[in-house]
Amino acid sequence: MAQIEKFSYDNAIVRNFAYATVLWGVVGMLVGLIAALQLIIPELNLGIAETTFGRIRPLHTNAAIFAFVGNGIFMGVYYSLQRLLKARMFSDALSKFHFWGWQAIIVSAAITLPLGITSSHEYAELEWPIDIAIAVVWIAFGINMFGTILKRREHHLYVAIWFYIATWITVTVLHVGNNLEIPVNMWKSYPVFAGVQDALVQWWYGHNAVAFFLTTPYLGLMYYFLPKAANRPVYSYKLSIIHFWALIFIYIWAGPHHLLYTSLPDWAQSLGTVFSIMLIAPSWGGMLNGLLTLRGAWDRVRQDPILKFMVVAVTAYGMATFEGPMLSIKSVNAISHFTDWTIGHVHVGTLGWNGFLTFGVLYWLLPRIFNTKLYSIKLANAHFWIGTLGILFYAIPLYWAGWTQSLMWKQFTADGFLQYGNFLETVTQILPMYALRALGGTLYLVGVFIMVYNLLKTVNSGKLEANEAVEAPARETYVKHKGEHWHRWIERRPMQMLVASTILILIGGLVEVAPMMLVDNNVPRIESVTPYTPLELTGRDIYIREGCLGCHSQMVRPFRSETERYGDYSKSGEFIYDRPFLWGSKRTGPDLHRLGGKYPDSWHFNHMLDPESMSPGSIMPPYPWLIEDDVDLGELPDKIRVLRTLGTPYPARYEEIAVNDAQKQAMQVAQSLRADGIEMEGLENKEIVALIAYLQRLGTDIKPKPQAGN
Amino acid sequence: MYKYLLENAGDINWMAIFALVTFVAIFLIGTITVLRRDAGFIEKMSRMPLEDSNTLTSENADHHEK
Repeated sequence: MAQIEKFSYDNAIVRNFAYATVLWGVVGMLVGLIAALQLIIPELNLGIAETTFGRIRPLHTNAAIFAFVGNGIFMGVYYSLQRLLKARMFSDALSKFHFWGWQAIIVSAAITLPLGITSSHEYAELEWPIDIAIAVVWIAFGINMFGTILKRREHHLYVAIWFYIATWITVTVLHVGNNLEIPVNMWKSYPVFAGVQDALVQWWYGHNAVAFFLTTPYLGLMYYFLPKAANRPVYSYKLSIIHFWALIFIYIWAGPHHLLYTSLPDWAQSLGTVFSIMLIAPSWGGMLNGLLTLRGAWDRVRQDPILKFMVVAVTAYGMATFEGPMLSIKSVNAISHFTDWTIGHVHVGTLGWNGFLTFGVLYWLLPRIFNTKLYSIKLANAHFWIGTLGILFYAIPLYWAGWTQSLMWKQFTADGFLQYGNFLETVTQILPMYALRALGGTLYLVGVFIMVYNLLKTVNSGKLEANEAVEAPARETYVKHKGEHWHRWIERRPMQMLVASTILILIGGLVEVAPMMLVDNNVPRIESVTPYTPLELTGRDIYIREGCLGCHSQMVRPFRSETERYGDYSKSGEFIYDRPFLWGSKRTGPDLHRLGGKYPDSWHFNHMLDPESMSPGSIMPPYPWLIEDDVDLGELPDKIRVLRTLGTPYPARYEEIAVNDAQKQAMQVAQSLRADGIEMEGLENKEIVALIAYLQRLGTDIKPKPQAGN
Repeated sequence: MYKYLLENAGDINWMAIFALVTFVAIFLIGTITVLRRDAGFIEKMSRMPLEDSNTLTSENADHHEK
């Protein structure tokens, strides 16, 4: 018999992450609600650049994913890991560093994103100094986790821990892969990859951020906390093993389903589709495993709000993971992509799966570490019903809006013309749905405030057991049994598990991404495509700063309904100088890839000053600061140098005359504006001039040039 | 239908075939080996979250308000 050892669990770190997930959850959802309301009442930005939709949308997504869910993951991991391994965390100092480091990153995101400091890679918007900070804190978390695993008192690793291991390694690979960039200065960088390659890497990351940040760690939490709350073991441990290996292998391939019908080569799109459909099998295996864990305990679900939250969370996981593969079928994607359907889909996952599981865990865990009882079951039940209603009011109108708008985009008259040729008609049609969505978000947030009150009262009624004293037998040398199974072997070896997981996730990444980087004919060159002029480049960076891609795509898909509306479909060779790519993922406004030359310069000036003056009924906010603020050309030489290093063919020493060239082009734009009656002192020095230069360039490289005499 | 599928099979990129073969192989090997596992061990592992409370100072009481 092994010697019994006495030690303690660190509950203080669990409490800290629990408080953080609640705090950032409220902040993230509040910002989301403000963004949702701005889609109905654009004036709610109060005329301030920093609070405008394009800048606060990434703030909302980052806060929801990395602050709310991120802290929720760490709360659950720090609680369950110690108990499953029968060991205190490897290092209290690393735990504290992880906690405070992560909060510092969140605060820096909350400052930089509204300031327009963004890489524009969706869900990876933070600029390079913060990326490095994320890597450092993530590695600290990894050392702490693996250190704990190595000093454990339990021989075998429960399946939840495998999910934590796979999460850690994959997020590490994704974070590095998608943030390969060269700094221009402290707060600006250009990505190593351009155009279609950048798009593939970004969505390889973007999809797997969903997979390995919003899903796998939460599956780990499900496999631990659901049996705890139901007080019965998981339905099938065997199924959980198959669930794990199949899921981590398949998930990594699914990224290209975000790029269907784009300029990405067909083979990559097909791979994304096939693997996305296959994902149903492991995902539903996991969901059913979760639900069936409650077999014989469904009577308790009626009384216990914690189980209610968990049941809806697992059901939402099942719904989202059924819907995801369906949306990856090309014919369905042709309807859903760029619409609110995607937003509805994502929120079933985040509000239902991540949100409700987090709430369930909070209600279960906080009373335990504070040695008390939940203050009010009635309030928890009220939270559950209001939150569920909130999800319904959020998702259903957006599904409706997505379908309606997409069908309107595609509707032709009997004579073969677009029935809704004015894009704005398709927006005003769905505004009531946006209002209902905001109501859904409000309900969900009200539920969260009820939870905050309930948890505060709970915490105040108890006392934190910061160091929970426990005892467990020391780990003895394991004696291998004859004929022992290989999986039992790997379950005792975390490092081998780490290597096996890494190999599995790398197979998908390498087979999909590497050929795009190495095989030239995947991106056919187009002779007439040239690099951006310095002024256009400056305008492009303003476009990035304002978060225009939050509402406007730059990707005309090869559908008649799109080529009629926008112009020729987009080719991959047109984007070879696009660092970063700006294809976008949502059309709240029209696609802009063929915008160049469509309107006079003055139209753009007036439109940015007051969108409703050019498009009555538009929900785009005004951008007066672009007209008031002087453009900064000081960084142009550095930008040109960095882009040339990355392969953009600017001539040698062009950086020395780039500013001069930019000023010359600005004078031309200003002249054209003045010719149309726009008079303003120093017009050629304003940001709007650079933005107009960029917008007028969009998609013009392959447009036939006017011929003499025509 | 089958003829159409077969005619187009030659256009499928080797990467797609590699992906499918790798997945099927991993899935089959995984499933078969998992299904052959020792039932006692599986039972022990599945109960692990329920048997991790060895607290000395606090009781494992019901933490719910009645």
